[in-house]
Amino acid sequence: MTWIVWRQQRPVFITLAGGLVVAAAAILLLRAGMLADLKAGNLVDCVEQKLAVCRGKEAREFQKSWYDLIHIAQIAVVVVPALVGVFIGAPLFAREFEQGTHVLAFTQSVSRTRWMATKFVVAGLPALLFVAALQLLVRSWVNAAGKLGPLVGGPFYFTTFDAQGVSPVVYTLFAYTLGVFVGALSRRTLVAITLTLGVFVASRIAVAVRRDEFGEPVRELSPDLTDPYAGVGDGQVMDTGFLDAKGAVVADPGSAQAPCVPSTRVEVSVEDRTACWQQHGLAQRYRDVLQVDQATTIHLLEAAIFAGLAAVFVLGLVWAVRRQS
Amino acid sequence: MESREHPPVVAENLGKKYSRGWALRDCTLQIPAGRVVALVGPNGAGKSTLMGMITGLLRPTAGRITVFGDAPNGRGMHPAVAFLTQAKPLYPQFTVTETLRYGRTANPGWDQAYAEQLVERAQVPFAAKVGTLSGGQRTRVALALALGKRPRLLMLDEPLADLDPLARETVLQTLLHECRVQGITVLLSSHVLAELEGVCDHLVLLASGQVRLAGDVGRLLHQHGAPGMRLSQLVLAHMRSEGVAA
Repeated sequence: MTWIVWRQQRPVFITLAGGLVVAAAAILLLRAGMLADLKAGNLVDCVEQKLAVCRGKEAREFQKSWYDLIHIAQIAVVVVPALVGVFIGAPLFAREFEQGTHVLAFTQSVSRTRWMATKFVVAGLPALLFVAALQLLVRSWVNAAGKLGPLVGGPFYFTTFDAQGVSPVVYTLFAYTLGVFVGALSRRTLVAITLTLGVFVASRIAVAVRRDEFGEPVRELSPDLTDPYAGVGDGQVMDTGFLDAKGAVVADPGSAQAPCVPSTRVEVSVEDRTACWQQHGLAQRYRDVLQVDQATTIHLLEAAIFAGLAAVFVLGLVWAVRRQS
Repeated sequence: MESREHPPVVAENLGKKYSRGWALRDCTLQIPAGRVVALVGPNGAGKSTLMGMITGLLRPTAGRITVFGDAPNGRGMHPAVAFLTQAKPLYPQFTVTETLRYGRTANPGWDQAYAEQLVERAQVPFAAKVGTLSGGQRTRVALALALGKRPRLLMLDEPLADLDPLARETVLQTLLHECRVQGITVLLSSHVLAELEGVCDHLVLLASGQVRLAGDVGRLLHQHGAPGMRLSQLVLAHMRSEGVAA
């Protein structure tokens, strides 16, 4: 049975293998070029930490030539799961039903369930391996750029988070199972492709915007009233606001700030504005920050949601393939 | 084997309703073992629906059906049955050799030598892609795939419809020769009566979703027909008398 699926999916496997070779060659070459630039600009230490020298001309030049490229590589890792769902998952069963070849498959001696399971595993596994390999390649490049690359935004920076940890493989599993299920259900390739893309993007967004609910933001206090991001670390700022002298949250800071807005167009210094806000009851600034060490937990929680949905889709697939019209 | 004792197909009050209405209703019949059964009737008579329910691709709305004693279900077709439809679905990107390998992989009782022999006799090149074959060659490959699994019941839904007269003749003769030699029960559907004459020894006439005539051809001719009447004449006469527009 494995051979049948292997033979049917051969063009897909060739594409995956070719794509991986090209991607690996490109990333390794670019990474080597970037490392040479780091050395040439004396920026090797800037990878580890944000130093004063890392704001110089060399660093700016370096980021100008490399930041976007690395970012694009991360975006590729974020996008590829959707492509797997759309181009490998969705047509896997839909095309059989559309071309009538499911009749051929259903009238052989092997059971429909075994046919389905073999197709599902043999077609899906190489795609998952492809995504995992691509993720590792991009990861090594991102790490090599360190704080001069996208990692400067911390682990919650959107492309960094989505291209890291278990996420890419789980997103791929989700997109793939969604695709095969919708394909077996609709029995139309085009419908399956459209639905897979729509549902995948919608669910990814729906979960991503609730990321703060998966972790527990820690409240950081700052005496700097006017700059909400003063001294902020790598964590993700979820919310900011003001506390009064007793430490309670000020419900409507706008009404406290309103009297401090000058009636004429004059420049108000930071000190004056701070003093004015303090008079009107704003004592401290707070921000709720998702801490860096929570990234793994949030990755796993998100993975659990998508893996759970994937399991539901697999059950739906079994039902859809075994149903009689 | 116990299932040998069960007739290939037994249907009791079998019915299938689609959203547009009943395609088959109150169908009670038995397909006896070792016979060549012609399933005839005008377009839309319910021939394909009956075959679909035998394979398990379709679920009956009413009544019961058993194939070698088992009720067909959505888990897969009975392994002793082979099915060939008018569309003859094959993977166009597979070569003939690969198509036979497909049959071998998907059927535990596969007879590779026999299947290869059938393809050789039809003079179909093994290295050719199925998508490039002519209609007749495709039919021969599909037939090799169906017979290679060594079925005890071979079902053919309008297998000759897209072939030229010469190819029809050859395919039908090959088919019947193989089935007689192997002792396979054949259920052959067609709306062209003439080509089944002298070939089938059992008849099931469907019209408007109901069984109009069923039984041994000799007996039917004896009971219903005038002396010297041919099967096609009997069937036509019967359809006219039932007021069926053929």
